[in-house]
Amino acid sequence: MTDTAVELPNDAEQPASRPEPPPGARNWRLGIALVLVVAGVWSWTGLDATLQDVLEAPGKALDIVKEMWPPAFKAVIDRGAVGKIFESLYVAWIGTMIGAIISFPLSFLGANNVAPVALRVPIRLLFNAIRAVPELIVAMLLITVVGLGPWAGALAIGLHSVGTLGKLSTEVIETSDEGPLEAISAAGGNWVEKMRWGMVPQVLPTVVGYWLFRFEINVRASAVLGLIGAGGIGGELVSQLNFRNFPEVGAVLLMVITMVLVIDTISGFARRRIIAGSGRKIDDDETSRTVGLIGDLGGSGLT
Amino acid sequence: MSETALPAAARPRKPRPRLGSYVLVVGLACFTVFAARQIDFRWSSFVDMWTNPLWGRFWPVPWDWVLNRRNVFDALIETFQIAIISTIVGCSLALPIGFAMSKLTSPNAPTFWFTRIVMNIVRAIPDLLWGKLLVTAIGIGAFAGTWALTIFSLAVMVKLFSETVDAADPLPLEAARAAGGRHTPAVRTAVLPEVFPAYVAYALYVFELNIRASLVLGLVGAGGIGRIVETQRSTFNFDRLLGILIIMFVIVVIIEQFSVAIRKRLV
Repeated sequence: MTDTAVELPNDAEQPASRPEPPPGARNWRLGIALVLVVAGVWSWTGLDATLQDVLEAPGKALDIVKEMWPPAFKAVIDRGAVGKIFESLYVAWIGTMIGAIISFPLSFLGANNVAPVALRVPIRLLFNAIRAVPELIVAMLLITVVGLGPWAGALAIGLHSVGTLGKLSTEVIETSDEGPLEAISAAGGNWVEKMRWGMVPQVLPTVVGYWLFRFEINVRASAVLGLIGAGGIGGELVSQLNFRNFPEVGAVLLMVITMVLVIDTISGFARRRIIAGSGRKIDDDETSRTVGLIGDLGGSGLT
Repeated sequence: MSETALPAAARPRKPRPRLGSYVLVVGLACFTVFAARQIDFRWSSFVDMWTNPLWGRFWPVPWDWVLNRRNVFDALIETFQIAIISTIVGCSLALPIGFAMSKLTSPNAPTFWFTRIVMNIVRAIPDLLWGKLLVTAIGIGAFAGTWALTIFSLAVMVKLFSETVDAADPLPLEAARAAGGRHTPAVRTAVLPEVFPAYVAYALYVFELNIRASLVLGLVGAGGIGRIVETQRSTFNFDRLLGILIIMFVIVVIIEQFSVAIRKRLV
Protein backbone atom coordinates (compact mmCIF):
# COMPACT_ATOMS: atom_id res chain seq x y z
CA MET A 1 0.00 0.00 0.00
CA THR A 2 2.62 2.50 1.09
CA ASP A 3 4.85 1.52 -1.81
CA THR A 4 2.36 2.61 -4.40
CA ALA A 5 1.71 5.86 -2.57
CA VAL A 6 5.39 6.66 -2.63
CA GLU A 7 5.91 5.65 -6.23
CA LEU A 8 3.00 7.64 -7.58
CA PRO A 9 4.84 10.91 -8.20
CA ASN A 10 7.46 9.09 -10.28
CA ASP A 11 4.82 7.36 -12.35
CA ALA A 12 2.93 10.57 -12.96
CA GLU A 13 5.42 11.53 -15.66
CA GLN A 14 4.23 8.70 -17.83
CA PRO A 15 0.59 8.05 -18.65
CA ALA A 16 -0.78 5.61 -16.08
CA SER A 17 -1.18 2.21 -17.64
CA ARG A 18 -4.70 0.89 -17.70
CA PRO A 19 -5.53 -1.95 -15.33
CA GLU A 20 -5.55 -5.28 -17.12
CA PRO A 21 -9.00 -6.80 -17.52
CA PRO A 22 -9.34 -10.11 -15.67
CA PRO A 23 -8.06 -12.97 -17.89
CA GLY A 24 -11.42 -14.75 -17.94
CA ALA A 25 -13.17 -11.73 -19.46
CA ARG A 26 -10.86 -11.75 -22.46
CA ASN A 27 -11.57 -15.41 -23.19
CA TRP A 28 -15.29 -14.76 -22.95
CA ARG A 29 -15.06 -11.85 -25.35
CA LEU A 30 -13.02 -13.85 -27.82
CA GLY A 31 -15.46 -16.74 -27.56
CA ILE A 32 -18.51 -14.58 -28.17
CA ALA A 33 -16.83 -12.77 -31.06
CA LEU A 34 -15.94 -16.13 -32.60
CA VAL A 35 -19.52 -17.40 -32.27
CA LEU A 36 -20.84 -14.23 -33.90
CA VAL A 37 -18.37 -14.44 -36.77
CA VAL A 38 -19.10 -18.11 -37.40
CA ALA A 39 -22.86 -17.52 -37.25
CA GLY A 40 -22.54 -14.54 -39.57
CA VAL A 41 -20.44 -16.40 -42.13
CA TRP A 42 -22.70 -19.44 -42.04
CA SER A 43 -25.75 -17.21 -42.57
CA TRP A 44 -24.02 -15.42 -45.39
CA THR A 45 -23.37 -18.67 -47.28
CA GLY A 46 -27.07 -19.50 -47.10
CA LEU A 47 -28.16 -16.22 -48.62
CA ASP A 48 -26.86 -17.04 -52.05
CA ALA A 49 -25.80 -13.45 -52.65
CA THR A 50 -22.51 -12.16 -54.02
CA LEU A 51 -20.70 -9.06 -52.83
CA GLN A 52 -21.79 -7.44 -56.05
CA ASP A 53 -25.44 -7.99 -55.11
CA VAL A 54 -24.84 -6.28 -51.80
CA LEU A 55 -23.18 -3.31 -53.44
CA GLU A 56 -25.86 -3.00 -56.09
CA ALA A 57 -28.84 -3.32 -53.74
CA PRO A 58 -28.78 0.23 -52.31
CA GLY A 59 -28.59 1.61 -55.86
CA LYS A 60 -31.59 -0.43 -56.95
CA ALA A 61 -33.54 0.66 -53.88
CA LEU A 62 -32.59 4.27 -54.53
CA ASP A 63 -33.78 4.03 -58.14
CA ILE A 64 -37.19 2.97 -56.88
CA VAL A 65 -37.28 5.79 -54.37
CA LYS A 66 -36.46 8.20 -57.20
CA GLU A 67 -39.32 6.80 -59.26
CA MET A 68 -41.68 7.41 -56.34
CA TRP A 69 -41.15 11.13 -56.65
CA PRO A 70 -43.37 13.08 -57.02
CA PRO A 71 -45.94 11.03 -55.07
CA ALA A 72 -49.27 10.69 -56.90
CA PHE A 73 -51.57 11.66 -54.05
CA LYS A 74 -54.47 12.51 -56.33
CA ALA A 75 -54.59 9.09 -57.97
CA VAL A 76 -54.58 7.12 -54.70
CA ILE A 77 -57.04 9.45 -52.97
CA ASP A 78 -59.40 8.96 -55.92
CA ARG A 79 -59.11 5.22 -55.28
CA GLY A 80 -60.21 5.74 -51.68
CA ALA A 81 -56.85 5.51 -49.94
CA VAL A 82 -57.93 7.91 -47.20
CA GLY A 83 -60.81 5.60 -46.35
CA LYS A 84 -58.35 2.68 -46.27
CA ILE A 85 -56.08 4.56 -43.86
CA PHE A 86 -59.05 5.06 -41.54
CA GLU A 87 -60.00 1.42 -42.00
CA SER A 88 -56.53 0.46 -40.74
CA LEU A 89 -57.07 2.70 -37.73
CA TYR A 90 -60.46 1.12 -37.00
CA VAL A 91 -58.95 -2.36 -37.29
CA ALA A 92 -56.18 -1.45 -34.86
CA TRP A 93 -58.59 0.21 -32.43
CA ILE A 94 -61.14 -2.61 -32.37
CA GLY A 95 -58.34 -5.16 -32.13
CA THR A 96 -56.89 -3.32 -29.14
CA MET A 97 -60.34 -3.11 -27.52
CA ILE A 98 -60.94 -6.85 -27.96
CA GLY A 99 -57.50 -7.57 -26.53
CA ALA A 100 -57.96 -5.21 -23.59
CA ILE A 101 -61.45 -6.38 -22.65
CA ILE A 102 -60.57 -10.08 -22.75
CA SER A 103 -57.09 -9.82 -21.23
CA PHE A 104 -57.91 -7.54 -18.29
CA PRO A 105 -60.05 -9.93 -16.24
CA LEU A 106 -57.91 -12.91 -17.27
CA SER A 107 -54.72 -11.24 -16.07
CA PHE A 108 -56.06 -11.20 -12.48
CA LEU A 109 -56.51 -14.95 -12.70
CA GLY A 110 -52.98 -15.35 -14.05
CA ALA A 111 -51.06 -13.34 -11.44
CA ASN A 112 -49.16 -15.40 -8.88
CA ASN A 113 -49.93 -13.12 -5.94
CA VAL A 114 -53.73 -13.17 -6.24
CA ALA A 115 -54.69 -16.34 -8.13
CA PRO A 116 -54.51 -20.02 -7.15
CA VAL A 117 -52.05 -22.26 -9.02
CA ALA A 118 -54.82 -24.26 -10.66
CA LEU A 119 -56.02 -21.14 -12.47
CA ARG A 120 -52.85 -19.24 -13.14
CA VAL A 121 -50.85 -21.99 -14.78
CA PRO A 122 -53.33 -22.67 -17.61
CA ILE A 123 -53.95 -18.95 -18.10
CA ARG A 124 -50.25 -18.15 -18.39
CA LEU A 125 -49.85 -21.03 -20.83
CA LEU A 126 -52.70 -19.56 -22.86
CA PHE A 127 -51.06 -16.11 -22.94
CA ASN A 128 -47.70 -17.56 -23.96
CA ALA A 129 -49.22 -19.80 -26.60
CA ILE A 130 -51.14 -16.93 -28.18
CA ARG A 131 -48.08 -14.70 -28.14
CA ALA A 132 -45.99 -17.24 -29.99
CA VAL A 133 -48.20 -17.25 -33.11
CA PRO A 134 -47.60 -14.24 -35.38
CA GLU A 135 -50.61 -12.00 -36.08
CA LEU A 136 -50.27 -12.58 -39.78
CA ILE A 137 -50.68 -16.33 -39.32
CA VAL A 138 -53.70 -15.83 -37.05
CA ALA A 139 -55.25 -13.57 -39.68
CA MET A 140 -54.52 -16.11 -42.40
CA LEU A 141 -56.38 -18.81 -40.46
CA LEU A 142 -59.25 -16.51 -39.51
CA ILE A 143 -59.82 -15.49 -43.11
CA THR A 144 -61.01 -19.04 -43.72
CA VAL A 145 -63.65 -18.50 -41.01
CA VAL A 146 -64.89 -14.92 -41.33
CA GLY A 147 -63.88 -14.23 -44.92
CA LEU A 148 -61.60 -11.59 -46.45
CA GLY A 149 -61.87 -8.10 -45.05
CA PRO A 150 -61.07 -5.84 -42.12
CA TRP A 151 -63.03 -7.88 -39.56
CA ALA A 152 -60.65 -10.83 -39.95
CA GLY A 153 -57.76 -8.45 -39.36
CA ALA A 154 -59.33 -6.88 -36.28
CA LEU A 155 -60.11 -10.28 -34.83
CA ALA A 156 -56.55 -11.50 -35.46
CA ILE A 157 -55.04 -8.40 -33.87
CA GLY A 158 -57.47 -8.75 -30.98
CA LEU A 159 -56.56 -12.38 -30.31
CA HIS A 160 -52.85 -11.69 -30.51
CA SER A 161 -53.24 -8.68 -28.19
CA VAL A 162 -54.93 -10.90 -25.59
CA GLY A 163 -51.63 -12.75 -25.27
CA THR A 164 -49.32 -9.75 -25.14
CA LEU A 165 -51.55 -7.52 -23.01
CA GLY A 166 -52.34 -10.44 -20.71
CA LYS A 167 -48.66 -11.07 -20.06
CA LEU A 168 -47.90 -7.42 -19.39
CA SER A 169 -50.96 -6.82 -17.15
CA THR A 170 -50.15 -9.96 -15.16
CA GLU A 171 -46.67 -8.63 -14.52
CA VAL A 172 -48.06 -5.26 -13.40
CA ILE A 173 -50.39 -7.01 -10.96
CA GLU A 174 -47.56 -9.14 -9.63
CA THR A 175 -45.41 -6.11 -8.79
CA SER A 176 -48.22 -4.21 -7.05
CA ASP A 177 -48.36 -3.23 -3.37
CA GLU A 178 -49.95 -5.80 -1.04
CA GLY A 179 -50.97 -3.24 1.60
CA PRO A 180 -54.36 -2.24 0.18
CA LEU A 181 -55.31 -5.90 -0.32
CA GLU A 182 -54.47 -6.73 3.29
CA ALA A 183 -56.48 -3.76 4.49
CA ILE A 184 -59.53 -4.92 2.57
CA SER A 185 -59.15 -8.50 3.87
CA ALA A 186 -58.91 -7.09 7.40
CA ALA A 187 -62.11 -5.14 6.84
CA GLY A 188 -63.82 -8.35 5.72
CA GLY A 189 -63.75 -7.92 1.96
CA ASN A 190 -63.91 -10.97 -0.30
CA TRP A 191 -61.68 -11.73 -3.30
CA VAL A 192 -63.71 -9.69 -5.80
CA GLU A 193 -63.85 -6.69 -3.48
CA LYS A 194 -60.12 -6.96 -2.86
CA MET A 195 -59.48 -6.85 -6.59
CA ARG A 196 -61.96 -4.11 -7.30
CA TRP A 197 -60.92 -1.70 -4.52
CA GLY A 198 -57.38 -2.80 -3.71
CA MET A 199 -55.88 -3.87 -7.03
CA VAL A 200 -57.64 -2.17 -9.93
CA PRO A 201 -56.94 1.41 -8.73
CA GLN A 202 -53.26 0.54 -8.31
CA VAL A 203 -52.65 -1.09 -11.66
CA LEU A 204 -55.10 0.68 -13.95
CA PRO A 205 -52.86 3.62 -15.00
CA THR A 206 -49.97 1.35 -15.99
CA VAL A 207 -52.26 -1.17 -17.66
CA VAL A 208 -54.03 1.52 -19.68
CA GLY A 209 -50.59 2.79 -20.64
CA TYR A 210 -49.84 -0.66 -22.03
CA TRP A 211 -53.15 -0.69 -23.91
CA LEU A 212 -52.20 2.54 -25.62
CA PHE A 213 -48.72 1.21 -26.34
CA ARG A 214 -50.28 -1.89 -27.85
CA PHE A 215 -52.55 0.34 -29.93
CA GLU A 216 -49.46 1.98 -31.42
CA ILE A 217 -48.06 -1.46 -32.28
CA ASN A 218 -51.40 -2.60 -33.66
CA VAL A 219 -51.59 0.38 -36.01
CA ARG A 220 -48.39 -0.89 -37.61
CA ALA A 221 -49.70 -4.46 -37.63
CA SER A 222 -52.96 -3.44 -39.29
CA ALA A 223 -51.02 -1.68 -42.03
CA VAL A 224 -49.32 -5.03 -42.70
CA LEU A 225 -52.45 -7.19 -42.58
CA GLY A 226 -53.65 -5.80 -45.88
CA LEU A 227 -50.83 -7.79 -47.50
CA ILE A 228 -52.89 -10.95 -47.08
CA GLY A 229 -56.29 -9.37 -47.69
CA ALA A 230 -57.31 -8.59 -44.12
CA GLY A 231 -58.34 -5.01 -44.81
CA GLY A 232 -56.74 -1.62 -44.46
CA ILE A 233 -54.11 0.32 -46.33
CA GLY A 234 -51.74 -2.63 -46.85
CA GLY A 235 -53.91 -4.01 -49.65
CA GLU A 236 -53.69 -0.74 -51.53
CA LEU A 237 -49.91 -0.71 -51.16
CA VAL A 238 -49.62 -4.26 -52.47
CA SER A 239 -51.75 -3.68 -55.53
CA GLN A 240 -49.84 -0.52 -56.42
CA LEU A 241 -46.52 -2.31 -55.91
CA ASN A 242 -47.61 -5.27 -58.01
CA PHE A 243 -48.46 -2.97 -60.89
CA ARG A 244 -45.22 -1.08 -60.23
CA ASN A 245 -47.04 2.26 -60.03
CA PHE A 246 -44.25 3.84 -58.05
CA PRO A 247 -45.61 7.41 -57.70
CA GLU A 248 -48.77 5.88 -56.20
CA VAL A 249 -46.65 3.65 -53.94
CA GLY A 250 -44.82 6.74 -52.73
CA ALA A 251 -48.09 8.47 -51.91
CA VAL A 252 -49.44 5.45 -49.98
CA LEU A 253 -46.17 5.07 -48.09
CA LEU A 254 -46.20 8.72 -47.06
CA MET A 255 -49.76 8.29 -45.85
CA VAL A 256 -48.80 5.21 -43.79
CA ILE A 257 -45.82 7.04 -42.28
CA THR A 258 -48.01 10.03 -41.41
CA MET A 259 -50.65 7.82 -39.83
CA VAL A 260 -48.12 5.94 -37.71
CA LEU A 261 -46.30 9.08 -36.57
CA VAL A 262 -49.53 10.94 -35.74
CA ILE A 263 -50.88 8.01 -33.71
CA ASP A 264 -47.54 7.56 -31.92
CA THR A 265 -47.54 11.23 -30.95
CA ILE A 266 -51.13 11.30 -29.69
CA SER A 267 -50.81 8.01 -27.86
CA GLY A 268 -47.43 8.92 -26.37
CA PHE A 269 -48.92 12.15 -25.07
CA ALA A 270 -51.90 10.29 -23.59
CA ARG A 271 -49.63 7.71 -21.96
CA ARG A 272 -47.48 10.33 -20.29
CA ARG A 273 -50.59 12.21 -19.19
CA ILE A 274 -52.07 9.05 -17.63
CA ILE A 275 -48.89 8.13 -15.76
CA ALA A 276 -47.74 11.60 -14.76
CA GLY A 277 -51.18 13.16 -14.14
CA SER A 278 -52.31 16.62 -15.18
CA GLY A 279 -50.64 18.68 -12.47
CA ARG A 280 -47.01 17.72 -12.79
CA LYS A 281 -44.77 18.78 -15.58
CA ILE A 282 -43.14 16.04 -17.60
CA ASP A 283 -39.59 15.97 -16.26
CA ASP A 284 -36.39 14.18 -17.07
CA ASP A 285 -37.87 10.95 -15.80
CA GLU A 286 -39.85 10.79 -18.99
CA THR A 287 -37.12 9.08 -20.97
CA SER A 288 -36.33 6.52 -18.33
CA ARG A 289 -40.02 5.79 -17.99
CA THR A 290 -40.34 5.19 -21.70
CA VAL A 291 -37.33 2.92 -21.54
CA GLY A 292 -38.93 1.11 -18.62
CA LEU A 293 -42.15 0.69 -20.49
CA ILE A 294 -40.47 -0.57 -23.64
CA GLY A 295 -37.78 -2.55 -21.84
CA ASP A 296 -40.49 -4.44 -20.00
CA LEU A 297 -42.05 -5.52 -23.23
CA GLY A 298 -39.76 -8.53 -23.49
CA GLY A 299 -41.04 -10.65 -26.31
CA SER A 300 -44.31 -8.89 -26.74
CA GLY A 301 -43.30 -7.65 -30.16
CA LEU A 302 -42.34 -4.06 -30.66
CA THR A 303 -43.36 -4.29 -34.27
CA MET B 1 -61.19 17.01 20.48
CA SER B 2 -59.88 13.94 18.78
CA GLU B 3 -61.62 11.67 21.26
CA THR B 4 -65.15 12.69 20.31
CA ALA B 5 -66.68 9.79 18.40
CA LEU B 6 -67.53 10.60 14.84
CA PRO B 7 -71.20 10.14 14.00
CA ALA B 8 -71.66 6.92 11.95
CA ALA B 9 -68.41 7.28 9.98
CA ALA B 10 -69.41 9.59 7.20
CA ARG B 11 -67.48 8.60 4.11
CA PRO B 12 -65.62 11.48 2.49
CA ARG B 13 -67.46 12.57 -0.59
CA LYS B 14 -65.97 11.27 -3.81
CA PRO B 15 -64.67 14.08 -6.00
CA ARG B 16 -66.86 14.43 -9.07
CA PRO B 17 -65.12 13.58 -12.35
CA ARG B 18 -64.50 16.57 -14.52
CA LEU B 19 -66.71 17.31 -17.50
CA GLY B 20 -63.75 16.59 -19.75
CA SER B 21 -63.54 13.01 -18.48
CA TYR B 22 -67.19 12.39 -19.36
CA VAL B 23 -66.68 13.84 -22.82
CA LEU B 24 -63.59 11.68 -23.33
CA VAL B 25 -65.27 8.45 -22.23
CA VAL B 26 -68.42 9.06 -24.26
CA GLY B 27 -66.33 10.15 -27.24
CA LEU B 28 -64.17 7.01 -27.12
CA ALA B 29 -67.23 4.79 -26.72
CA CYS B 30 -68.87 6.40 -29.75
CA PHE B 31 -65.67 6.04 -31.73
CA THR B 32 -65.46 2.36 -30.78
CA VAL B 33 -69.03 1.67 -31.89
CA PHE B 34 -68.50 3.62 -35.09
CA ALA B 35 -65.25 1.80 -35.85
CA ALA B 36 -66.85 -1.57 -35.11
CA ARG B 37 -69.65 -0.84 -37.58
CA GLN B 38 -67.18 0.31 -40.22
CA ILE B 39 -65.32 -3.01 -40.17
CA ASP B 40 -68.39 -5.32 -39.93
CA PHE B 41 -67.91 -6.33 -36.30
CA ARG B 42 -69.90 -9.57 -35.77
CA TRP B 43 -70.46 -11.21 -32.40
CA SER B 44 -71.20 -14.47 -34.20
CA SER B 45 -67.56 -14.75 -35.29
CA PHE B 46 -66.51 -15.44 -31.72
CA VAL B 47 -68.55 -18.66 -31.98
CA ASP B 48 -67.88 -19.48 -35.64
CA MET B 49 -64.17 -19.25 -34.89
CA TRP B 50 -64.33 -22.51 -32.95
CA THR B 51 -66.94 -24.40 -34.99
CA ASN B 52 -65.48 -23.82 -38.43
CA PRO B 53 -65.85 -27.09 -40.44
CA LEU B 54 -62.46 -26.34 -42.03
CA TRP B 55 -60.65 -27.07 -38.79
CA GLY B 56 -61.26 -30.79 -39.42
CA ARG B 57 -58.93 -30.57 -42.41
CA PHE B 58 -56.04 -29.44 -40.21
CA TRP B 59 -55.80 -32.89 -38.63
CA PRO B 60 -54.01 -35.32 -38.60
CA VAL B 61 -50.63 -33.71 -39.24
CA PRO B 62 -48.60 -35.63 -41.85
CA TRP B 63 -45.41 -35.64 -39.80
CA ASP B 64 -43.39 -37.63 -42.34
CA TRP B 65 -43.98 -34.84 -44.87
CA VAL B 66 -43.34 -32.05 -42.37
CA LEU B 67 -40.16 -33.55 -40.96
CA ASN B 68 -38.77 -34.40 -44.40
CA ARG B 69 -35.59 -32.41 -44.83
CA ARG B 70 -36.40 -30.97 -48.23
CA ASN B 71 -39.89 -29.78 -47.45
CA VAL B 72 -39.53 -27.66 -44.33
CA PHE B 73 -36.08 -27.93 -42.82
CA ASP B 74 -34.19 -26.07 -45.55
CA ALA B 75 -36.58 -23.15 -45.47
CA LEU B 76 -36.31 -23.07 -41.71
CA ILE B 77 -32.52 -22.82 -41.94
CA GLU B 78 -32.97 -19.92 -44.34
CA THR B 79 -35.22 -18.22 -41.78
CA PHE B 80 -32.48 -18.51 -39.17
CA GLN B 81 -29.85 -17.23 -41.56
CA ILE B 82 -31.95 -14.18 -42.42
CA ALA B 83 -32.54 -13.42 -38.75
CA ILE B 84 -28.92 -13.93 -37.71
CA ILE B 85 -27.29 -11.85 -40.38
CA SER B 86 -29.79 -9.00 -40.13
CA THR B 87 -29.42 -8.92 -36.35
CA ILE B 88 -25.62 -8.82 -36.56
CA VAL B 89 -25.51 -6.12 -39.23
CA GLY B 90 -28.42 -4.07 -37.85
CA CYS B 91 -27.14 -4.09 -34.28
CA SER B 92 -23.54 -3.29 -35.26
CA LEU B 93 -24.71 -0.24 -37.21
CA ALA B 94 -26.98 0.70 -34.32
CA LEU B 95 -24.07 1.29 -31.94
CA PRO B 96 -22.63 4.42 -33.60
CA ILE B 97 -26.01 5.64 -34.85
CA GLY B 98 -27.58 5.16 -31.42
CA PHE B 99 -24.86 7.33 -29.88
CA ALA B 100 -25.44 9.95 -32.56
CA MET B 101 -29.16 9.96 -31.73
CA SER B 102 -28.75 10.70 -28.03
CA LYS B 103 -28.55 14.27 -26.72
CA LEU B 104 -25.78 13.18 -24.36
CA THR B 105 -23.37 11.75 -26.91
CA SER B 106 -24.35 13.28 -30.24
CA PRO B 107 -21.33 14.92 -31.91
CA ASN B 108 -23.37 17.89 -33.14
CA ALA B 109 -26.93 19.14 -33.59
CA PRO B 110 -27.29 18.43 -37.34
CA THR B 111 -26.24 14.77 -36.86
CA PHE B 112 -28.64 14.48 -33.92
CA TRP B 113 -31.66 15.76 -35.82
CA PHE B 114 -30.82 14.07 -39.10
CA THR B 115 -30.42 10.58 -37.61
CA ARG B 116 -33.42 11.07 -35.36
CA ILE B 117 -35.79 12.12 -38.15
CA VAL B 118 -34.58 9.48 -40.62
CA MET B 119 -34.81 6.69 -38.04
CA ASN B 120 -38.30 7.72 -36.94
CA ILE B 121 -39.49 7.59 -40.53
CA VAL B 122 -37.82 4.21 -41.11
CA ARG B 123 -39.44 2.84 -37.98
CA ALA B 124 -42.87 4.06 -39.07
CA ILE B 125 -42.86 1.53 -41.93
CA PRO B 126 -43.53 -1.96 -40.52
CA ASP B 127 -41.04 -4.77 -41.18
CA LEU B 128 -43.23 -6.66 -43.64
CA LEU B 129 -43.90 -3.56 -45.70
CA TRP B 130 -40.11 -3.15 -45.92
CA GLY B 131 -40.04 -6.76 -47.05
CA LYS B 132 -42.62 -6.17 -49.75
CA LEU B 133 -40.92 -2.95 -50.90
CA LEU B 134 -37.48 -4.54 -51.12
CA VAL B 135 -38.81 -7.61 -52.89
CA THR B 136 -40.10 -5.24 -55.55
CA ALA B 137 -36.85 -3.29 -55.63
CA ILE B 138 -34.21 -6.05 -55.61
CA GLY B 139 -36.13 -9.21 -56.43
CA ILE B 140 -37.81 -12.12 -54.70
CA GLY B 141 -35.79 -14.12 -52.19
CA ALA B 142 -33.99 -14.23 -48.88
CA PHE B 143 -31.66 -11.42 -49.89
CA ALA B 144 -34.50 -8.89 -49.95
CA GLY B 145 -35.80 -10.23 -46.65
CA THR B 146 -32.38 -9.80 -45.07
CA TRP B 147 -32.23 -6.18 -46.18
CA ALA B 148 -35.71 -5.53 -44.86
CA LEU B 149 -34.98 -6.97 -41.43
CA THR B 150 -31.58 -5.27 -41.26
CA ILE B 151 -33.16 -1.89 -41.89
CA PHE B 152 -36.00 -2.46 -39.50
CA SER B 153 -33.92 -3.92 -36.68
CA LEU B 154 -31.52 -1.00 -37.02
CA ALA B 155 -34.43 1.39 -36.56
CA VAL B 156 -35.84 -0.44 -33.53
CA MET B 157 -32.43 -0.91 -31.98
CA VAL B 158 -31.36 2.74 -32.22
CA LYS B 159 -34.58 3.85 -30.58
CA LEU B 160 -34.17 1.55 -27.58
CA PHE B 161 -30.44 2.13 -27.33
CA SER B 162 -30.45 5.91 -27.71
CA GLU B 163 -33.03 6.19 -24.94
CA THR B 164 -30.77 4.18 -22.66
CA VAL B 165 -27.86 6.45 -23.53
CA ASP B 166 -30.05 9.46 -22.76
CA ALA B 167 -30.58 8.10 -19.27
CA ALA B 168 -26.88 7.32 -18.70
CA ASP B 169 -24.82 9.16 -16.09
CA PRO B 170 -23.31 12.30 -17.75
CA LEU B 171 -20.56 12.82 -15.17
CA PRO B 172 -17.97 10.29 -16.46
CA LEU B 173 -18.31 11.85 -19.91
CA GLU B 174 -17.71 15.29 -18.44
CA ALA B 175 -14.65 13.97 -16.67
CA ALA B 176 -13.32 12.40 -19.85
CA ARG B 177 -13.82 15.65 -21.74
CA ALA B 178 -12.25 17.69 -18.94
CA ALA B 179 -9.23 15.41 -19.15
CA GLY B 180 -8.93 16.37 -22.81
CA GLY B 181 -10.51 13.32 -24.47
CA ARG B 182 -11.72 13.74 -28.02
CA HIS B 183 -15.37 12.95 -28.72
CA THR B 184 -15.20 9.31 -29.82
CA PRO B 185 -12.67 8.06 -27.23
CA ALA B 186 -14.53 9.96 -24.49
CA VAL B 187 -17.83 8.32 -25.39
CA ARG B 188 -16.19 4.93 -25.72
CA THR B 189 -14.52 5.00 -22.31
CA ALA B 190 -17.09 7.00 -20.31
CA VAL B 191 -20.50 6.00 -21.67
CA LEU B 192 -20.14 2.69 -23.50
CA PRO B 193 -19.28 0.56 -20.42
CA GLU B 194 -22.39 1.80 -18.65
CA VAL B 195 -24.84 1.12 -21.48
CA PHE B 196 -23.25 -1.99 -22.97
CA PRO B 197 -25.22 -4.56 -20.93
CA ALA B 198 -28.45 -2.89 -22.04
CA TYR B 199 -27.17 -2.91 -25.62
CA VAL B 200 -26.62 -6.66 -25.51
CA ALA B 201 -30.04 -7.19 -23.92
CA TYR B 202 -31.70 -5.15 -26.68
CA ALA B 203 -29.74 -7.02 -29.32
CA LEU B 204 -31.12 -10.30 -28.01
CA TYR B 205 -34.59 -8.81 -28.00
CA VAL B 206 -34.15 -7.63 -31.59
CA PHE B 207 -32.96 -11.11 -32.54
CA GLU B 208 -36.19 -12.47 -31.10
CA LEU B 209 -38.18 -9.93 -33.12
CA ASN B 210 -36.24 -10.87 -36.23
CA ILE B 211 -36.92 -14.59 -35.80
CA ARG B 212 -40.62 -13.84 -35.46
CA ALA B 213 -40.60 -11.53 -38.46
CA SER B 214 -38.54 -13.86 -40.64
CA LEU B 215 -41.06 -16.64 -40.05
CA VAL B 216 -43.68 -14.60 -41.90
CA LEU B 217 -41.46 -12.71 -44.38
CA GLY B 218 -42.03 -15.47 -46.90
CA LEU B 219 -45.68 -14.45 -47.19
CA VAL B 220 -44.50 -11.44 -49.20
CA GLY B 221 -41.87 -13.39 -51.13
CA ALA B 222 -38.88 -12.46 -48.98
CA GLY B 223 -37.63 -15.96 -48.22
CA GLY B 224 -37.70 -18.28 -45.23
CA ILE B 225 -40.30 -20.66 -43.90
CA GLY B 226 -43.16 -18.26 -44.71
CA ARG B 227 -42.66 -19.23 -48.35
CA ILE B 228 -43.66 -22.82 -47.52
CA VAL B 229 -46.59 -21.60 -45.42
CA GLU B 230 -47.84 -19.56 -48.35
CA THR B 231 -47.59 -22.46 -50.85
CA GLN B 232 -49.33 -24.92 -48.55
CA ARG B 233 -52.08 -22.43 -47.79
CA SER B 234 -52.74 -21.61 -51.42
CA THR B 235 -52.93 -25.33 -52.24
CA PHE B 236 -55.24 -25.93 -49.25
CA ASN B 237 -52.95 -28.47 -47.55
CA PHE B 238 -54.12 -27.38 -44.14
CA ASP B 239 -52.77 -30.47 -42.35
CA ARG B 240 -49.24 -29.72 -43.56
CA LEU B 241 -49.80 -26.08 -42.62
CA LEU B 242 -50.61 -27.03 -39.05
CA GLY B 243 -47.43 -29.12 -38.85
CA ILE B 244 -45.33 -26.13 -39.97
CA LEU B 245 -47.14 -23.85 -37.54
CA ILE B 246 -46.40 -26.20 -34.65
CA ILE B 247 -42.71 -26.19 -35.54
CA MET B 248 -42.71 -22.37 -35.77
CA PHE B 249 -44.45 -22.21 -32.41
CA VAL B 250 -41.86 -24.42 -30.73
CA ILE B 251 -39.00 -22.38 -32.18
CA VAL B 252 -40.45 -19.08 -31.01
CA VAL B 253 -41.02 -20.43 -27.50
CA ILE B 254 -37.51 -21.89 -27.22
CA ILE B 255 -35.78 -18.76 -28.53
CA GLU B 256 -37.82 -16.56 -26.24
CA GLN B 257 -37.04 -18.60 -23.12
CA PHE B 258 -33.39 -18.58 -24.04
CA SER B 259 -33.25 -14.85 -24.68
CA VAL B 260 -35.26 -13.95 -21.58
CA ALA B 261 -32.93 -16.06 -19.43
CA ILE B 262 -29.84 -14.28 -20.76
CA ARG B 263 -31.43 -10.85 -20.57
CA LYS B 264 -32.40 -11.38 -16.95
CA ARG B 265 -28.77 -12.06 -16.09
CA LEU B 266 -27.58 -9.00 -18.01
CA VAL B 267 -29.81 -6.26 -16.63
